[in-house]
Amino acid sequence: MTSIGTGYDLANSIFSPDGRNFQVEYAVKAVENGGTSIGIRCKDGVVLAVEKIVTSKLLKPGANKRIATVDRHLGVVYSGMIPDGRHFIDRARDEARSWRDTFKTPISTADLASRMGGYMQAYTLYQSVRPFGITAIVGGFDSTEEAPVDGEVGSGPACGAGGKVAGKTHGGPFLYMIEPSGLYWGYYGAATGKGRQAAKAELEKLDLGGPGGPTLTLEQAVKEAARIIYVAHDDSKDKEFELEMTWISGADGPTKGCIGRERLSVGEKALDEDEDEEEGKEEKMEE
Amino acid sequence: MDHRPQAWGRPRDDVYGAYDASYLQSGGPKTATQSPIVTGTSVIAIKFKDGVVMAADNLASYGSLARFTDVKRLRPFLSTSVVGFGGDVSDMQFLTRHLNELAIDEAYEHESSPTSSSEDDPNAPPAGQLNAANLHKYLSKLMYRRRNDFDPLWNQILVAGFDSASAPFLASVDLRGTTFTSPSLATGFGAMLAQPIMRRYAATEADAARLTREEAVKVVKECMKVLFYRDARSLDRYSIAVVTKDGVELSEDEQLERQSWAFAERIKGYGTQTV
Amino acid sequence: MAAMFSQNPLMNGPNYSVNDAPRVNAPEGAREHRFDPYTDNGGSTLAIAGADFTIMAGDTRLTSGYSINSRHHPKLFKIGGTTADQKDATIVLSVVGFAADGEALKERLDAICKMYRYRHGKPMSVKACAQRLSTILYQKRFFPYYAYAILGGLDEEGKGAVYSYDPVGSYEREQCRAGGAAASLIMPFLDNQVNFKNQYIPNSGEGHALQERERRPLTRTEVETLVKDAFDGAVERHIEVGDGLQMMAITRHGIEEVFLPLKKD
Repeated sequence: MTSIGTGYDLANSIFSPDGRNFQVEYAVKAVENGGTSIGIRCKDGVVLAVEKIVTSKLLKPGANKRIATVDRHLGVVYSGMIPDGRHFIDRARDEARSWRDTFKTPISTADLASRMGGYMQAYTLYQSVRPFGITAIVGGFDSTEEAPVDGEVGSGPACGAGGKVAGKTHGGPFLYMIEPSGLYWGYYGAATGKGRQAAKAELEKLDLGGPGGPTLTLEQAVKEAARIIYVAHDDSKDKEFELEMTWISGADGPTKGCIGRERLSVGEKALDEDEDEEEGKEEKMEE
Repeated sequence: MDHRPQAWGRPRDDVYGAYDASYLQSGGPKTATQSPIVTGTSVIAIKFKDGVVMAADNLASYGSLARFTDVKRLRPFLSTSVVGFGGDVSDMQFLTRHLNELAIDEAYEHESSPTSSSEDDPNAPPAGQLNAANLHKYLSKLMYRRRNDFDPLWNQILVAGFDSASAPFLASVDLRGTTFTSPSLATGFGAMLAQPIMRRYAATEADAARLTREEAVKVVKECMKVLFYRDARSLDRYSIAVVTKDGVELSEDEQLERQSWAFAERIKGYGTQTV
Repeated sequence: MAAMFSQNPLMNGPNYSVNDAPRVNAPEGAREHRFDPYTDNGGSTLAIAGADFTIMAGDTRLTSGYSINSRHHPKLFKIGGTTADQKDATIVLSVVGFAADGEALKERLDAICKMYRYRHGKPMSVKACAQRLSTILYQKRFFPYYAYAILGGLDEEGKGAVYSYDPVGSYEREQCRAGGAAASLIMPFLDNQVNFKNQYIPNSGEGHALQERERRPLTRTEVETLVKDAFDGAVERHIEVGDGLQMMAITRHGIEEVFLPLKKD
C-alpha cells in the first residue's frame, strides 16, 4: 500500500498519476474498520440498524446512541469514525433546518442526500482538510400526504385551480448511502462497515427491488435487519455488541411518519432469546 | 423612451403620467406590527379530572370579512400539549414554525437518553421532554421579549397539557407577555361569553378535578355555540382538542350541532321588514 | 421631444421601483408605534412590619379592564431561596400593576439574590436586597417596569422591615404600606390603625391640647386582623380587588403562607 501511494497520499487535492485520490481511499479503510451499519427500504418504511461494538464494560448499556434523528422524517446511521459522524449529523441537521426556513416544508430524503453528498465531496478537494472517515446511510420517509407547509393554516381550494393533480402520488420511503468520496446512490438495501460483505449477501436475498417495488413489510424488515446484524457480526473478533435499530413508516404506519418514535437497543444477551425479542417488537409496532 | 431598468414594466409616464408613489413612501420610521390584520377570534379551554379540553373555530377574519374558513388554530406540540392561538394569524404561523423547530430540537436532545421514561408510570412523557408548563414558560418569555422590543406578536395564546407533577395544566399568555392560569380560560370574546358558562362548571381547581371528560367536552361545545350566536367574527366549524395522559386527540372539522335560531324570528328592526 | 421623456421631474433624476425608494427622514433605528406595551392588571397589596415579624398580603384577582382573567394569581413571591419551591427564603416581594413586568421583576430579583448567595455563601440581607431592587427599577428608568413593589423581611436586628417602591426605583423603609388599585382606600385606614394617626385620648384636652393615643407595636394577631379587615373593605369598594387573600408572615422561624377567601363579586 505504502509503495503505491508514495508521494501522492499526503494530501487531498493531489491525484496520483493513475487518477486516484489516496486520502479518500484511506478514509474508506477507516470505514471498513467500523461496526456494521445497514439500511433496508421496504414497502411501507425504512429500517436502520447498527452493530455497536461494546469497547468497554464501563460504558453504560443503551447509552451513546449511534442512530441520529435529523428531522422528523429523517434518520442517519454511519460506520467509521464516530466524531466525523457526529459532525456529519450536525451538518445534516443544519441543512434540514435551513431547508425548512427557506421552503417552509421538510427536506426530502433525496435532497438531504444530495446536500450531504456535496458536503462530503468538498472535503476531498482541499489541502487543508481530510475526507470524512465515515460512510453514512440516510433513511427517511417523505410524506405522501398533501405537501405540508410549516405553519400553514388552511387546506387550500377544495376544487378548481389549486395546483393539485388528482391521483398523483409522491413521497414514500427512501434510502441513500454516502461514501467518503461524496459519492451517493439511492439503495434498496445498504450495508457498510466491517460486516458489509456478509450483510450485503443477506440483503440481496431479500425481495427489495422487484418491478412492483419491494414486497417486504416494515415488520419483516425490522426482523431481517436484526438478523442481518447478528449474521454480520464476527464473534471471533468482537465479543460484545449492542444492536441499535430504528425504523420509520408513513403517517398511517406505526411510527406515524416520525423517526425515532420507537427505537430500541438490544443487548448481546438477547442473542439466545432472539425470537422472543422479535415478538416483543412486533407487539410494540402494533400499538 | 426611458430604457433604464427602473422604468421597466411600469406604465409609461408620457402616456399615463408619473406614478404617484408617495403613499408607498411613508417616509416614516421602520414599522413593526401596529395592529393585527388577519385575525382569529376566541379560543376556549377547560380543565377536567384527566386533562384539558380546548376549542377554537376555523375562521380567520380580515376585519369584518370572513376571509379564510378552514384555518386550524389549535396546534399540538410533541403530542403531549396543545397550543391555541387567538389574534393575528401571520404571527400564529410564525410561532407555529418556531414551535416546529423547537419540537425537532427536542427530538435531537432526547434521542441520547434511554426511551423508557419512568418505570412506574408508562404514560408519563419522556423524562426531561418539554411539558405544557415548560412550553408556556417558554412562550411567555418569547412574547414578553417581543413586547420589550416593541415588536409584539399579536396573539393571545392558551397552552394546555400537563405540568411537571403530571397534573392537568392550562395557562394563557398574551401579546404583552402577561400570563395567568385558571381552571377555565377563554381569549377575546370568549372571555365575556364563554368564561362565565365554563366557570359555572369549574369555578375552582377542585370543581375541575371532579369534571369528567364528557362533561367538559359538552360544556366547551355549548360555549362554542353561544359564541357562534353572539360573536359576529365566529364560525360554526371549529376544532376541538382533548389532552390526556394518552396524548392529544385533535379534531379539526367539527360542525356546531343542534343550533336553534328560533330567537332570531323575534328580532325586529334591522333592514327591510314587511310585517 | 420633451414629451418623449417624462414630464415628471422625478423621472429626470434616478427613478426607483417601489422597494428601492429611499426612506426619507427616518433616523437610524427610530420607530413609531401604536402598540401600548402596558396594561393595568389591578389588584392590591399590603405590608405591615411588626416588632419581630412582617406580614405581607395581596389579593389574588387578575383583571384586564372589566374582565377577571384569573381568580388565583398570587402577587407575593418568596425571593432568594435555594430551591425551586423557595422553602428556605427569608425575603418576600409583592408586585402589583402590570403583571408581566411584575413577573419579570420578581424573576430578576430572585436570580440576583441566588447569585449573591452563591458568591458570598450567605443569604442577602433585606437591606441589601432593597437597595438592589431600587437599582433594578431605576436601570429601566426610561422604559420602566410598571409595577409597584413592596419588599418585606426581617432586618439585622430581627425587626420587621418593609420597603416600598415606586415604578422607577424611589424607595423608603416604612412601618406599613399599601400598594396597587386599592392603595388609596387602604392606606388611610393603616395610618389610623397602625400608626394611630388621629387617635386621641378621650377627654385629654381641647384643640391642640388633645393628647395623642400612645403608640405601641401591634401584635401579630392584631396585624392579621387588620389585614383581613383592610381587604374586606377594599373588596367592597374596588372592583379590581377580590377573590382570594394571600398572606405571608415572615418571622425568624421562616415564612408562613395562607390563602383565605375574599368575595368573588
